[in-house]
Amino acid sequence: MSTQTKQIGKYKVEVIRDKCISAASCAAIAPKVFEMDEEDLAIVISQDGNDDETKLLAAQSCPTMAVIVTDTETNKQVWPPQG
Amino acid sequence: MVPPQKYTARLEEKVQHNDKFAQYSFELLEPHRLEFQAGQYVSIKVSEQGERRAYSICSTPDNNHQFDLLIDSTPGGLGVQFLQSLEFGSEIEVLAPMGQLVVPENLMVEELVFVATGAGIAPFKSMIEDQLRNKQDQRQITLHWGMRQPKSLLWLEEWQELVEAFPNFHFHPVLSKAPEAWTLCRGRVTDCLSIHQLPTSAAYFLCGSKAMIEDTTNVLTQKGVSKELILLEKFY
Repeated sequence: MSTQTKQIGKYKVEVIRDKCISAASCAAIAPKVFEMDEEDLAIVISQDGNDDETKLLAAQSCPTMAVIVTDTETNKQVWPPQG
Repeated sequence: MVPPQKYTARLEEKVQHNDKFAQYSFELLEPHRLEFQAGQYVSIKVSEQGERRAYSICSTPDNNHQFDLLIDSTPGGLGVQFLQSLEFGSEIEVLAPMGQLVVPENLMVEELVFVATGAGIAPFKSMIEDQLRNKQDQRQITLHWGMRQPKSLLWLEEWQELVEAFPNFHFHPVLSKAPEAWTLCRGRVTDCLSIHQLPTSAAYFLCGSKAMIEDTTNVLTQKGVSKELILLEKFY
């Protein structure tokens, strides 16, 4: 499974490309963090373009949970919820 | 476009069109006005954990204190379960407006062609009504809508009213499981598009499943339609 990762502030976001179905909701909510590439799949273009709340909303809007949010201060996965 | 923001809205009305489709009307509470463009969608929080699902707005932007959604109940997923559990007066949290599938103001084409399957009709209901009634668009506007059976079709009176009121609007339902008495197009929307002469100076708006989008795009490009004139929204 391929993922795309970039370094961040508090919340780090990753896109699991295999899960992305081009819904583009992440890019609509956090356009300074996510963008659709030439394959029409979401990519992370910046970790600090939008605030943490917006990044989390963008992840929660993904119908396939293709966006993973990790709190870098605690190193815990914030989204999708685990367990 | 207006960036999306959080809204709270209250379920005001639910119309069950048939055993497959229901229309939900939500009144906006806070903020109480939503500036959106026809074709855009909302993202609804459908679980306590924060999961969201996207639904196209099928009402028109001139009614900015509420929005209507068309829900296909057959997938039976998380979003449908959430919406079906709502009682009248229940409040929901939405992010809106979202989506890029709109009719651009400066679109220099002679015709608009909309191609939908199933619930993909929802944004086109808003877009077509907005172009005809609110924007007085004089261009030829054609809707090809693929469904399985006649009983699944909806808004037939509304489509007929538009056909009668606007001579530049053309409505072509296509049925894949058409009864013998059906006199209009049969098969898939791509079958219908394949046999018709398609205008090349037109913008094509597509909304449906990934497979439908790919198949329709192939048919259109094979018939000489430029990819730049194909605008789409995928539903899954």
